[in-house]
Amino acid sequence: MRRVILYEGFERFWHWSQALLIITMMLTGFEIRGMGLHLFGFQRAVSLHNILAVALVVLIVFAIFWHVTTGEWRQYIPTRKFLREMIAFYLTGIFKGAPHPVKKHRMAKLNPLQRLAYLGFKTLIIPVQVTTGALYYYYPNLQHALHWPASSLWLIAIVHVLSAFGLVAFLIGHAYLTTTGHTPLTNLKAMITGWEDLKDDAYLDEP
Amino acid sequence: MFPSFQNPSPPRLRWVIQTLAGLLCLAQVQAWAQQPAPSAPAGHGAFLEVHRAKGRRQTADHSKFKILQGPFKEGDGPAVTRACLTCHTKAAEQVMATSHWTWNVADHGKDGFGKSTHLVNNYCISIIGGNTESCARCHIGYGFKDKTFDFTRQENVDCLVCHDTTGDYEKEKAGLPNPGVDLAAVAQKVGEPTNRNCGVCHFFGGGGDATKHGDLDDTILKAPRSEDVHMSRQGAGMECVDCHVSDGHRIAGPNYVVPADRREQAKYPGEAASRMSCTACHSDSPHKSYILNRHYQKVACQTCHIPAFARGELPTNLYWDWETAGRLKNGRPYQEEDAKGFEGYNSIHGEMVWDRNVKPTYLWYNGNLAFVRLTDSIQVPADGKVVLNPAEGSYADPNAKIWPFKLHDGRQPFDTVLNRFVAPYTAGPKGSGAYWGDWNWEVAIRKGMETAGLPYSGKYGFVKTTMLWPITHMVAPKEQALSCLECHRRNGRLQGVSGFYLPGRDRGRGVDFIGLGLILVTGLGVLVHGLMRYFHGHF
Repeated sequence: MRRVILYEGFERFWHWSQALLIITMMLTGFEIRGMGLHLFGFQRAVSLHNILAVALVVLIVFAIFWHVTTGEWRQYIPTRKFLREMIAFYLTGIFKGAPHPVKKHRMAKLNPLQRLAYLGFKTLIIPVQVTTGALYYYYPNLQHALHWPASSLWLIAIVHVLSAFGLVAFLIGHAYLTTTGHTPLTNLKAMITGWEDLKDDAYLDEP
Repeated sequence: MFPSFQNPSPPRLRWVIQTLAGLLCLAQVQAWAQQPAPSAPAGHGAFLEVHRAKGRRQTADHSKFKILQGPFKEGDGPAVTRACLTCHTKAAEQVMATSHWTWNVADHGKDGFGKSTHLVNNYCISIIGGNTESCARCHIGYGFKDKTFDFTRQENVDCLVCHDTTGDYEKEKAGLPNPGVDLAAVAQKVGEPTNRNCGVCHFFGGGGDATKHGDLDDTILKAPRSEDVHMSRQGAGMECVDCHVSDGHRIAGPNYVVPADRREQAKYPGEAASRMSCTACHSDSPHKSYILNRHYQKVACQTCHIPAFARGELPTNLYWDWETAGRLKNGRPYQEEDAKGFEGYNSIHGEMVWDRNVKPTYLWYNGNLAFVRLTDSIQVPADGKVVLNPAEGSYADPNAKIWPFKLHDGRQPFDTVLNRFVAPYTAGPKGSGAYWGDWNWEVAIRKGMETAGLPYSGKYGFVKTTMLWPITHMVAPKEQALSCLECHRRNGRLQGVSGFYLPGRDRGRGVDFIGLGLILVTGLGVLVHGLMRYFHGHF
């Protein structure tokens, strides 16, 4: 057993501020949509949603820079290795107390399912949200300048909202799966403190 | 280089300056602290100041002019006009070129629109069926009784109705002055028109105070700021002519030629540009919020800033059913009040509905109302209701905006063979054939159409009609502007305005079903998985 830093300072800052931003944007977004939330009031919800959107984009720019410069982007390269085993683990093994099929490593801290999920999150859901959000915000200008038909805002809104629902589902699954670590709180603690006890020393010696 | 910038003042001098400046600021701060808070926000200009400035504007004291000393014969309006014209030699000529005189909007390129033409409405219907004499109480002329009126006689122009500042001037049938008015006294006190001058006619359209427009009535003269932020004496204290600017008696703003919204500016210095759009004074981006400002592209200012019309004490007419007119009690016409205390029935008008504080109806509008005339053939649509002046515009129309309207419903007579509206003769005594004298539609319509010189088949019926009245006055203080949720929700104020996606209103049930379903399935999956782990003892 060895204690290692699994998540660096910036990574944790990025993760938690992104979480806070996205959750607040979910709340404001669904209030704007009229889903029965009355937290901020419509006008303030709209302003907050837009301000947070800019903040999120800034954060993402920094995160991209960090991923590129540290090489951490490699963590998200999808792999089929152990994919089947991971699925089997979640479907059956976990109930029997079977060991986790993939060992964590400082340079391979994500299992193949996580890689797929986070890659999808980063390259699909977030870009879709950012793009449709920007189109939504600038729709009056675009409509005016490019003579977009009235139905285009409808389309933009549908994609933006469906993707937002997807984000909520993602958040639920994500939060639950953090409890599947060594103990239910192991993963959460690691994301807060950065440290995690890694069991298998053999992996740690890999370069 | 400038040496004074490089060399700081000597230390002692600087100390003195700083101390003095500090003391000055302190005194100012104390003065602020001692000032009582202003009781009512005064808008952009305190009323008194605006009006003191107006008082100074006049360069002549008309009581000093001999020719206005009179005496004038009782009711001899033309004599006063002749006196006015001795100095203002071109005034009558100017007036006679305007629609105030012709009751036709030909001077704005819309010949055939106006009261003296074939235009039809669903209040008093039309003046040309023989009703001119009583309707011309509001004509700015003397003696407009019928078609024979000489529109070219300069002395027939009534200067006093617009320029009286005493409030004592009064007009009667055919627009002649009330014989009781001291014409010399009124003539010596003429000045720039105030709200009252415009109001004596424009507040009373449709035959009574507040009846027609919904956003214009007598209460404006004493309105609190909450009723009309512009014209209230506690608000900006503005006069009608502050926005309806005139140029040689040609006043901006006939209803028939108003673009929905625009930013008007003088084309050359000194040109009297009309200020008939909000943006002419307020700019097209008056809000702090960028998003609110962008609403301007598709939403008229009036839509949010006039939350309701008829916000004074007076009700405006919303429904007028000519078909039910003519019920008599013991052979005499009568009136009845409805549950609200408003005139629910009057034999001369029929059943009526009145109300105060009415939420407008919202429609796309590019400034054009497609008026139906007595000479146009009508088609009764499926819902049985003919719109007399449908608003033009749609989401796709770059000049159109969502505007508030007063919708005036009613039923009125039409020629069932020719499919045209008719102009009945209504205002006249017993035996004249007028509807209010003899209570016979058959005769009243025939006589009316004869007088108007229009064909009539002899067969009439009644048809439901709606008339649109754009709402633009009675702007509320900004605190009373509509909140976002008045429109950005299901079944809000804009529920009926179609052709575009409105966030908050057009939330699709299918999308919600898919999205909430996805969340539900994920939640259930997580729950089942968690419970299984728990029961297997591996949580």
